[in-house]
Amino acid sequence: MIKIENLEKIYRTEEVQTKALNNVSLTVNEGEFVAIMGPSGCGKSTLLNILGLLDEPDGGNFSFAGTEVAKAAERRRAELRKKHIGFVFQSFNLIEELTVFENVELPLIYLGVGAAERKEKVAKVLEKMQIMHRRNHFPQQLSGGQQQRVAVARAVVNSPSLILADEPTGNLDSSNGNEVMELLTELNEAGTTIIMVTHSEHDARYAHRVIRLLDGQVVLEHAHV
Amino acid sequence: MFKNYFLVAYRNLIRHKGFSFLNIAGLALGLTACLLIGLFVHDELQFDKFVPQGDQIYRIYSERTKTETPETLAPVPPMYATTMKQEFPEVEQTTRILMESSVDLLEVGDKKIYVENGLIADSTFFEIFPLDFKYGSAAHALDAPMSMVLAEDVAKSFFGDENPVGKQIKMNKTSFVVKGVLQNNLSKFHLKVNSVIPLSAAQLPKERMKKWGWHQFFTYVKLRPGTDAQQTQAKLRSYVAEKVNPTLPEDDKVTDLSFLQPLHEVHLYSANFKYDSSVKGNITYVKALGFIAAFILLIAGFNFVNLSTAKSMQRAKEVGIRKTIGASREQLMLQFLSETVLLTLVSVVLATVLTALLLPSLNTFTGKTMTFDLLTNPGLLGVLVLLTVVVGLVAGFYPALVLSSFQPVKVLKSAVVTDSVFGRVQWLRHGLIVVQFALSVFLIVCALVVFRQVSYLHNKDLGFNRDQIMFFPMRGDNMNKHYDTFKNELQQVPGVASASIGYGFPGDQVAGDGIIVPTNGEDKEKGVTQLMVDYDYLKTLGLQLVTGRDFSQEMKTDKDQAFIINETAVKELGFGTPDKALGQTLKWKVWNNKNPDSLKIGKVIGVVKDFHYKSLYDKLEPAVLQIFPGAYWKVAVKLKADNIGSSVEGVKQVWAKFSPESPIEYKFLDNNFDQMYKAEDKLKSLLWIFTGIAIFVGCLGLFGLATYAAERRKKEIGIRKVLGASVGSIVSLLSKEFLVLVLIAAVIAFPAAWLAMSRWLQDFAYRIDMPLWAFLAAGLTAAAVAFLTVGYQAVRAATMNPVNNLRAQ
Ligand SMILES: Nc1ncnc2c1ncn2[C@@H]1O[C@H](COP(=O)(O)OP(=O)(O)OP(=O)(O)O)[C@@H](O)[C@H]1O
Ligand SMILES: [Mg+2]
Repeated sequence: MIKIENLEKIYRTEEVQTKALNNVSLTVNEGEFVAIMGPSGCGKSTLLNILGLLDEPDGGNFSFAGTEVAKAAERRRAELRKKHIGFVFQSFNLIEELTVFENVELPLIYLGVGAAERKEKVAKVLEKMQIMHRRNHFPQQLSGGQQQRVAVARAVVNSPSLILADEPTGNLDSSNGNEVMELLTELNEAGTTIIMVTHSEHDARYAHRVIRLLDGQVVLEHAHV
Repeated sequence: MFKNYFLVAYRNLIRHKGFSFLNIAGLALGLTACLLIGLFVHDELQFDKFVPQGDQIYRIYSERTKTETPETLAPVPPMYATTMKQEFPEVEQTTRILMESSVDLLEVGDKKIYVENGLIADSTFFEIFPLDFKYGSAAHALDAPMSMVLAEDVAKSFFGDENPVGKQIKMNKTSFVVKGVLQNNLSKFHLKVNSVIPLSAAQLPKERMKKWGWHQFFTYVKLRPGTDAQQTQAKLRSYVAEKVNPTLPEDDKVTDLSFLQPLHEVHLYSANFKYDSSVKGNITYVKALGFIAAFILLIAGFNFVNLSTAKSMQRAKEVGIRKTIGASREQLMLQFLSETVLLTLVSVVLATVLTALLLPSLNTFTGKTMTFDLLTNPGLLGVLVLLTVVVGLVAGFYPALVLSSFQPVKVLKSAVVTDSVFGRVQWLRHGLIVVQFALSVFLIVCALVVFRQVSYLHNKDLGFNRDQIMFFPMRGDNMNKHYDTFKNELQQVPGVASASIGYGFPGDQVAGDGIIVPTNGEDKEKGVTQLMVDYDYLKTLGLQLVTGRDFSQEMKTDKDQAFIINETAVKELGFGTPDKALGQTLKWKVWNNKNPDSLKIGKVIGVVKDFHYKSLYDKLEPAVLQIFPGAYWKVAVKLKADNIGSSVEGVKQVWAKFSPESPIEYKFLDNNFDQMYKAEDKLKSLLWIFTGIAIFVGCLGLFGLATYAAERRKKEIGIRKVLGASVGSIVSLLSKEFLVLVLIAAVIAFPAAWLAMSRWLQDFAYRIDMPLWAFLAAGLTAAAVAFLTVGYQAVRAATMNPVNNLRAQ
């Protein structure tokens, strides 16, 4: 599903150049659950953003679901993103002016899904995330764990084939964290590919495979059994 | 999709109450000012638009080329109309209105009312101006010489709700028959009409009507469709030069330049016309107001842009999220545009309500009857919708562009969006603030200069004492015949200091005429103002003699052989100094219909200090004062300072003895003068009000920006404080940037204000020097206002507990 070769990302500021990614090559197959680990500043988020078509690499190849996207235009990347990818962030990133229901509904609106179908889909996913009873609440009125469940719901509501999660449990206590990890596992078992950045060895154990980065380079890949 | 946009917009509006309030209040206030000004300007532009085929109608006016500074005269000699009607095939019809500004005494039975604005017009008047009749009809209404058409109000006060057509009415003791009553819908007519009688009723001598030099008629021509007025104008001029002038004696040749003025320009483009009795507007003031409206809307719009982009920092994250989950840039722009349109809509609705509430006051102030009724005026609704959409889109476009350009990777990473993302926004925002302040400074300078000039107009020493002078025209044969005893009795009234009878009192009409100065054995005629006075004129008005003496009863020769001249006349007539002027001979062609060639020959016995008998728009002219009982038409009575009320009563009693049939109609001379500057007074008030609004709206925006600036730098302030910065240094840190902007704005505004105000002052013959302090004051005001607005936020931020600020992030 994802194949990257010799990927490079360089950040230029006035004084310094940071090579955030240096010759990263990686393949993720459909249905896989991959964890990316490494010390702070090693390039995990950068990699994830590129994988999620939010950011452009400076060099290398990137094929997404069979098409080359390394140099794709923003419009095309947005199109792919909207259809195929769901995001979960450490800081939930819910829109505060929208209710739980409306937050989850948003991707469907951008996809142009009709109102009736939206309602049905959102209800279904909220049910599944066990947050249906809170559908008319605003994000500030929810606990962190609940917020993250809404974020996951929003990421999966249009049934993306890929979910990218950047430290999804980073802001949660362990029981809430475990809940989210269970959710992701369930989704993965239902066929969704998941790539997750994490600092926690415990969380990484949910994944099939762990990729370790150091200073923008892949230093180790190992599988869990 | 739009439902979602509006939902978010609505929730945003509620959540950020302060922001919404600033935005909406500023815009609503700005829009209200715009709507009010718009209504006023629209109303001014509507004058005479109701006249059918008005674009074919022109007024003839002439420009005097003989005088030093060219004068524009609204009335022209009677032959213009006669000739054009007879000789110019393209002229469909003409009509003339006799210039005379008397107040007419109308009588029906016992009821007597003085009525102004009685027109004496050619019977073709209603062909050119087919006004609506309530009773009777326009056709043939003025055919019979003793016909009269009345305005509805006048008819009502005599005849109530009856149809008066066919009834008798007396005007100045002469009987007329009412032929029609006009509808009361002439608020947009440039002529004030209370009654119309035909010119034939005035019984002007036939030979007078053949004159080419008697500027006495407001003349209108209606051209056939498709006629080029410029050509007709050229034709008229060459006709006068080639066909008329050769037939006239040397002295009477026409040297004036004639013009055709489109009817639709009469109201607004005649501000400097002399002897014009039409309802005048002033295109300069209309334009100025239009500019102010645009300024205010601009300031309000800029607020919107500035506040929205400032606030966009808070919404950057939302944009990031929306983009991440699939929103396209177009969708986001649409979203933000819908938000501004929504905000604008709320503002427009508020502005509509405010306008409706304030319109009655504006009507009272301007003496107009403007309406603001959305139900009966769908065009107005259209304007409002258009305003909403245009303002919403224009003001929303840039913020939408900025907001939708955020890249999710950047804005999602950190909780606060750093200034670097906003580099160009910052630049633009500063630019807009500069423009806002430049406009405000400009308006403040203008308001101050206008204020100074207006108070100068009201308070300048006019060279005579205008206080406590009662002024009225004489009435009735008895009074006119016995003016001497009338005056004597007036002077007997305890509170009366002195009284003078004549023609040519300050603030009233004065006569212009020639005076002959014999120089080197040759008679030279010069145009001067002729003030027809009596022995108490100087005393009553408190004029000062520079040299020589006042007229005196004891000197029997003063009546027929003496002149007093003013200082300007000393120069203009070529006498050099006042003392040299004494004893010089002057000759005057006496106003005498029976014997037009009789001459009055006399000597200059005194020179008075120049005094302003006209408004300060006009340059002082040479004036000649003489005793001439033939023009004893008006009375000025100087009252003693105390017990004015009983003095006025006394004067009234004397009047009643001489002219019991007509009530007295008096004014005070100083009021007459104040009346002259009514347009300027109004301009002054309007400028103050709208400058105030402009500044206030600008401040709302600045306040909002300062709030955001303080918010954004909370953490920085906290750190600085922890490191030991004083409150003062933090306040100056936050205020400095705004003050610099004000300074730049002032630098831009000053030259513009200087130019605009010098041009405005140019219209006044007597004017203040450009007051430099006004510029300084305007700059300081703007700076102070900016400092107070920003300073409040800065002090608040600086005095906050740093620990809270540091924790907040
Ligand atoms: N916008 C940027 N401009 C300049 N340098 C950047 C930018 N974003 C990231 N970097 C640099 O790129 C490198 C990788 O950053 P990245 O955010 O990918 O790290 P990370 O592995 O996600 O770290 P963390 O675990 O702390 O989230 C870092 O050295 C960082 O300083
Ligand atoms: Mg990271």
